[in-house]
Amino acid sequence: MFAKAPSHSTALGPGCAGPPLANPQQLSSAQASAHERGSHQPSCGAAPFAVDASMLRSTGSQPHKHTQSPYVTGSSVLAITYAGGVMLASDTLASYGSTKRYKSVQRLVKVNDSTVLGAGGEISDLQFILNMLDDLKTEDYCADDGQSLSSQELYSYLSRVMYNRRNKMDPLWNSLIIAGLEGGKPFLGSVNMIGVAFSDDHLATGFGNHLARPLFRKRHRPDMSEEEATALIREALEVCYYRDKQSINKFQIAKVTASEGVSISEPFALPTKWEYKAFVDPTRNAVGVW
Amino acid sequence: MSGIGTGYDLSVSTFSPDGRVFQTAYAQKAVDNGGTVVGIRCKDGVVLGVEKPVASKMLVGGSNRSTYPINQQTGMGIAGVSADGRQIVNRAMQEATQYKGFYGEVIPGYVLSERIASYVHLFNLYWYVRPFGAALLMASYDSEGPQLYLIEPGGTAHRYFGTAIGKGRQSAKTDIEKLKLTELSCRQGVVEVAKILHTVHDEEKPFELELAWICDESNKEFKRVPADLAAEAEQQAKAALDEDMDS
Amino acid sequence: MFRNQYDTDVVTWSPQGRIHQVEYAMEAVKQGSTAVALKSNTHVVLATLNRADSELTSSLQKIFKVDDHLGIAASGLISDGRSLCKFMRSECLNHRYVYESAMPVTRLVREVADNAQVCTQRSWKRPYGVGLLVAGHDKSGPRLFYCCPSGNYYEYLAHAIGGRSQAARTYLERKHEEYPDASLDGLIGHALQALSASLAEGELTATSCNIAYVGRDQDFKELDEASLQPYIQALRDAEGGDGGGGADGAAPMES
Repeated sequence: MFAKAPSHSTALGPGCAGPPLANPQQLSSAQASAHERGSHQPSCGAAPFAVDASMLRSTGSQPHKHTQSPYVTGSSVLAITYAGGVMLASDTLASYGSTKRYKSVQRLVKVNDSTVLGAGGEISDLQFILNMLDDLKTEDYCADDGQSLSSQELYSYLSRVMYNRRNKMDPLWNSLIIAGLEGGKPFLGSVNMIGVAFSDDHLATGFGNHLARPLFRKRHRPDMSEEEATALIREALEVCYYRDKQSINKFQIAKVTASEGVSISEPFALPTKWEYKAFVDPTRNAVGVW
Repeated sequence: MSGIGTGYDLSVSTFSPDGRVFQTAYAQKAVDNGGTVVGIRCKDGVVLGVEKPVASKMLVGGSNRSTYPINQQTGMGIAGVSADGRQIVNRAMQEATQYKGFYGEVIPGYVLSERIASYVHLFNLYWYVRPFGAALLMASYDSEGPQLYLIEPGGTAHRYFGTAIGKGRQSAKTDIEKLKLTELSCRQGVVEVAKILHTVHDEEKPFELELAWICDESNKEFKRVPADLAAEAEQQAKAALDEDMDS
Repeated sequence: MFRNQYDTDVVTWSPQGRIHQVEYAMEAVKQGSTAVALKSNTHVVLATLNRADSELTSSLQKIFKVDDHLGIAASGLISDGRSLCKFMRSECLNHRYVYESAMPVTRLVREVADNAQVCTQRSWKRPYGVGLLVAGHDKSGPRLFYCCPSGNYYEYLAHAIGGRSQAARTYLERKHEEYPDASLDGLIGHALQALSASLAEGELTATSCNIAYVGRDQDFKELDEASLQPYIQALRDAEGGDGGGGADGAAPMES
């Protein structure tokens, strides 16, 4: 579930960092060529950060506009650690505004043999991110030195990308959770569209932040067994499904463990019960409502 | 070669009176003097083999790579100056990434071979650069099936059933012609390539064999031949060589 | 030195398929003083010879720290080495910014080598006149590379470059079986032995050489004079102990 820009952060609100800041002073041609000669393109990860001055310049009388709201969005992603692994879950819906438009979109993606990415928010931006991660993976493959990016490195990479895009006033409209094993230990990290990044034992994005994390805080232990973890995740999914209108009853669970690597389940539905009194009579406990 | 001392062989932007560009030919010379590289297209994939001289016993075994993946579906083997070859490999990687980003599909082998040939060709056009002293054998596996290409310093690209470049290319090519490539599997091909490279290596200088393949067995990904398989192939090659000596 | 038409610039192939300018650049490495490097299963050690040209000057710095996990020793045109070092530092820093981790040594070395190759193919450039011994430690363990002006790079167990380095290489080759299991102190001992083997005259002192190392749980570190002194002393003792005839010789009385 994603709010519109102004409510997300004041930094993106009107007047805070308008066109003047986004327009770097144009280099004179002599300066520009000197700049070109003096600087070298770093060998890794620079492309998403590079500011293309021509993109910032306005065309015609109107200023250049960037994404100002998302179109096709995914909702919450939940993630917890447990003994020997991490577990992620999300539904498979991509909404067009408030229309449940695409119902079989996989939002948990295997990035490499030890990392899964879960994403909410703009689905096209997610696809862009996945293309970048695919290029990174190919880079690792081509280096052919047996080394590949760890979960923590991918987390760091993505947080740099998200933050730099936000500073270019052209954010990737996503909340991401990166999950995997770091030196055999479970690792979870989250990054959002303005580049706020943190790591914890349990995480959730979107509405899950309000609905699932209180449950996690109460019930989560890092030494949970896989069964316990699955039970907790399923319960959290159920709660999210009941209370988040932008969700559907079609979920996937992803796991990363040392023994089995990455596995992502087939989509499944949870048993639901709508006969709760509060559901049947939603205004029962709400004073002053009719 | 008749260019020496005439002044017609000093720049890549100079033709000789009989219409040759000597600098390109000299760059080819660098390839022809280097270690032998063999590539064959078998029925289920492509095998590349490189003969690498080992300059010092203090070198780490298996280092000094000369086969490089370009992406999961393509790989190259370098003959000649490997520093030059790496530059072409880098370009190939960029082309592959660019194509994937633009079309959303893996670059087909023939497109990549032509793009690479164009890049290599650029260095035959201007006085201020020199042609690459490296030739590349490229193995790809796309919807057209497994393919083998050779890109040479002059900027040519050809598709082959099997070919060899470098010092021992003549006898290696003769050996390849004897193979029934349409019936050979890559697993057998690896042994044949090892045999050929051991045969053409006549000096008593130490050398390493680098074997890479792309085939159904490697999951249609360009990879080094697994160490145990490579060791076995080399053993068989040596055994076959000894047999020839005895008979 | 005789000259031919083909050896004055970097964009001309000789009829034999060689580029003389690149070969001359590799000669420049031999004009520098000796640099030695060797590695065990846990550490890599760099050692350089450091002769001051006069009593009034300091000697030239030849070992450079690039990042916590990596450093280089240069021989040849040290100013070229410094500019390559700047490039390497910037690459490592960028990698740390993007990934919050140390840049894999192999990949950095390849970047450096690719950079060096470009200088061998453009008429307005000249090849770097410096050889670099790159010592680093990453997820794959300790790594040691030699970067050549030609744009080639090689991975070594032990190597020496620079003037009179053949003697050092001979020493290194003779003892190479001992390195993998050697302790850090042992490695430094071997590095100093190799260095003193390449010495034209006089003997090694704490002021005439430099040592740096990097390894598992050990950031790249260059030893200062005081901490180098004990190793020099140990070297002297060892040489005195068996009459300077090498550690593997029989005791003097028996021979």
